[in-house]
Amino acid sequence: MTNTSHEVVKGPHHSGDAAPIALSAHSITKRFPGVLANDSVDFDVRAGEVHTLLGENGAGKSTLAAMLCGLYQPDSGYLLRNGQQISLSSPRAGLQHGIAMVHQHFRLVDRFTVAENVVLGSRNLSFTLNRKTIDEKVAAVAESYGLPIDPGAIVGDLSVGQRQRVEIVKALYQGAEILLLDEPTAVLVPAEVEKLFENVHAMTAAGKSIVFISHKLGEVVEISDRVTVLRGGKVTGHVSGRGSTDTKELARLMVGRDINLSTQRASHPTGHEVLQIRELSLQTEGVDILSNISFNVHEGEMVGIAGVAGNGQRELADTIAGLISPTAGTISIGGAMATDRGPIAARELGLAYVPEDRLGMGLVPSMSILDNLLLTRDRHIVVDRASVRPEATRLIDQFEIKANDADHVARKLSGGNAQKVLLARELSGGRAATKLLVVCSPTRGLDVGAIETVRRLLDDARSAGQAILLISEDLDEIMSLADRILVLYRGAIVHETSGEAAQLATVGAAMAGLSTEGAA
Amino acid sequence: MRAPFRIVFEQRSETPKYLSAFVPLVSVLAALLAGAIFLMATGYSVGETYSNMLQDGFLSSRGLTDTLGLSTVLICMGIGAAFAFQMNLYNIGGEGQGYLGMIGGAWAGLALGPHLPSVIMIPTVLLIGAAFGAVWIFVPAFVRARLGTSEIVTTLLLTYIAASLVNHFIYTPNSYFRAPDVTFPMGRTVPDSAKLTALGDTRMYPTFFIVVALALFLFWIVKRTEFGYRIQVIADSPRAAHYAGINARRTTMQVMLISGALAGLGGATLIVGEFGKLDPGITMLGYGYAGIVIAALARNNFAAIIVSGILFSGLRVGGDKLQITTSTPIHIGVMLQGAILLFALGGEAFRRYKIRTVRMQAVAQ
Repeated sequence: MTNTSHEVVKGPHHSGDAAPIALSAHSITKRFPGVLANDSVDFDVRAGEVHTLLGENGAGKSTLAAMLCGLYQPDSGYLLRNGQQISLSSPRAGLQHGIAMVHQHFRLVDRFTVAENVVLGSRNLSFTLNRKTIDEKVAAVAESYGLPIDPGAIVGDLSVGQRQRVEIVKALYQGAEILLLDEPTAVLVPAEVEKLFENVHAMTAAGKSIVFISHKLGEVVEISDRVTVLRGGKVTGHVSGRGSTDTKELARLMVGRDINLSTQRASHPTGHEVLQIRELSLQTEGVDILSNISFNVHEGEMVGIAGVAGNGQRELADTIAGLISPTAGTISIGGAMATDRGPIAARELGLAYVPEDRLGMGLVPSMSILDNLLLTRDRHIVVDRASVRPEATRLIDQFEIKANDADHVARKLSGGNAQKVLLARELSGGRAATKLLVVCSPTRGLDVGAIETVRRLLDDARSAGQAILLISEDLDEIMSLADRILVLYRGAIVHETSGEAAQLATVGAAMAGLSTEGAA
Repeated sequence: MRAPFRIVFEQRSETPKYLSAFVPLVSVLAALLAGAIFLMATGYSVGETYSNMLQDGFLSSRGLTDTLGLSTVLICMGIGAAFAFQMNLYNIGGEGQGYLGMIGGAWAGLALGPHLPSVIMIPTVLLIGAAFGAVWIFVPAFVRARLGTSEIVTTLLLTYIAASLVNHFIYTPNSYFRAPDVTFPMGRTVPDSAKLTALGDTRMYPTFFIVVALALFLFWIVKRTEFGYRIQVIADSPRAAHYAGINARRTTMQVMLISGALAGLGGATLIVGEFGKLDPGITMLGYGYAGIVIAALARNNFAAIIVSGILFSGLRVGGDKLQITTSTPIHIGVMLQGAILLFALGGEAFRRYKIRTVRMQAVAQ
């Protein structure tokens, strides 16, 4: 291995050492206009193992995977399949070598049955389809890997998790030996993730190789035999040994700097309770999304909710903001009941909400900064833009938003500037002075400069006495900002600690559900 | 052998301002060009046909006033369609809502006309026509707002029922709407108090100014009011609307009902104006469908609809007169309308995409 960067080897055994290398990539470089997506990347996967490609958005994971399956061709470098050099001109060529990708966005025909989707694209189909034979063949493939699925079901009627299973069965039916799973858990609810992981184990036990692509530390630790970390198109480290991997180390390799951002915590005593949540539960279509959550946030305090995406964070935020009605439990803001009273009532009580999805939920893309400021404010029957304009101009100045003027359209702002507009609106109050700020993934996808600005703004808001609920998948962010940390796992709070006493390993384990499994 | 060039559609990050005006203009020209091909193929003189149309539609005083007269109902149908379209609600049943507007207007005129003066009757006929249009879209609006049922299907299908209703009211013996003592089935004319007089020696009615004022008022509503703001938020991002506590269901209901009412008003302008009665001939004229094209051509801009409505009206008036003055088939006008829609919609691609040719790269290995 000619890797000059970090090499961390953990654990007593190197799983799959005996197994031969099924597929390897050597010095792969891929350039897109203006971006070096992959910079001499080396990667290999053995038969019967799960090798994870870990990295932040834009780190080059998906590009590498696309080259491994023939979707893209490398500018330089080469691939070896069982030691033989191969060149993949298309995904079909990849399939001929037993390599298949399961995309994040499924490529299924909704109106076809499972079996029809699975055989779709097979070259050796007879002119007339014998449904029964196909159904049996598909069912046989599915069962041999413990992927129970009804071949006759219409794909459009299936859940997301089941559709993903259809994609996997399709790949296996087509003879895949190496499966590339591109962010497979991004679309799944926790229970489905568990099921997926069982399927992954069944496949590796049968000698298949899995390339697992993810940016979620918790699940990576849970599923991987080996991990390759990418950052800015380069490999920054390899880690091996299932379960014993240090998330802190992975995070460092992934983010690229020591996770030692100056910790900022409340320097003054915190005040009254602003947000009180009591026994909050939420069920959607019989599935528990949030179960029995209780906590408080005080004036001048920042409470961080850590957790892997899809564990109920977004629903928790939406419920507090009055967008979703809880199944049970109460929410009060500033001592007044906010449960079931809707988003406008919540805002009148002093709530401000920065959702995870900035452009499209927090901001209206086609509208100007000025009009976006009006979104959460009281608008008169005839909208008086002239009277809001001075404030808009002042906020653009104060929050250092790079925009021509208040008429600058939100869609044309960079991610960081869009987030600043959103924060400017939410922090400056609208229907009432802001008492409680709920922020979701406030720095996701931003560059370092913008991340620092956003964090400073949050810290300033806390110093000004606002209560802040910070919901983020970015554990570092929570570790360095929050005064108290709660870990959300499968809709329940499984761990609570003060910001000072928080241990990355403990919190990380709780995020992955490890501590609860021990308790249960 | 592969071609050395490949045509690539590249998404524009923003649409240049000039294109917004340029595309509709070029669409009209392209449609005229397409029409020219058919004219030539069928042996008519292109230059003569088009100059006749221009003369009869816009340049002669008779033509111009006829055009403005017809544009009244067309602009009204156009703003009705656009009012729903702007929120991505595709009410394509303006045609049927227009019939209901006529039925409502004719009923109001016949029932109340003998008792009330003109000052009260004219607004009453128009408002009842609008109300009937709104009633006709109520069910599509309700199921769309509550259940998300496609309004395209429901509004279109209701148009056929509306057409049957019009015929029923005229062809049924002893129908309230049918002219008595006439063997030939036709509508009973409303009393004079429910009718406006044409302006001078023209076929233009004062409703033209009402409709133009209404279009400008809607332009203002959309740009300047909270209601317009709400519509824009929902149109662009339903999730942002939900986030901001905007009630999308209620707004959907409101917008669709207004859209139907405007189409109904269009129908009622024919009662106080040119027709003066419920006339089954309306089902052959397609004013409501024309409104869809007019709205599309103006990109749902209410001020621009005044222009596209008049343009369209001129094409129809000029086209209709062709058959009388020359023997060119009336269908050339109809075909041009269709071609304009086609090119206007096709032109959208140019607003959103840049078209480039790319030299093919040498194929690696």
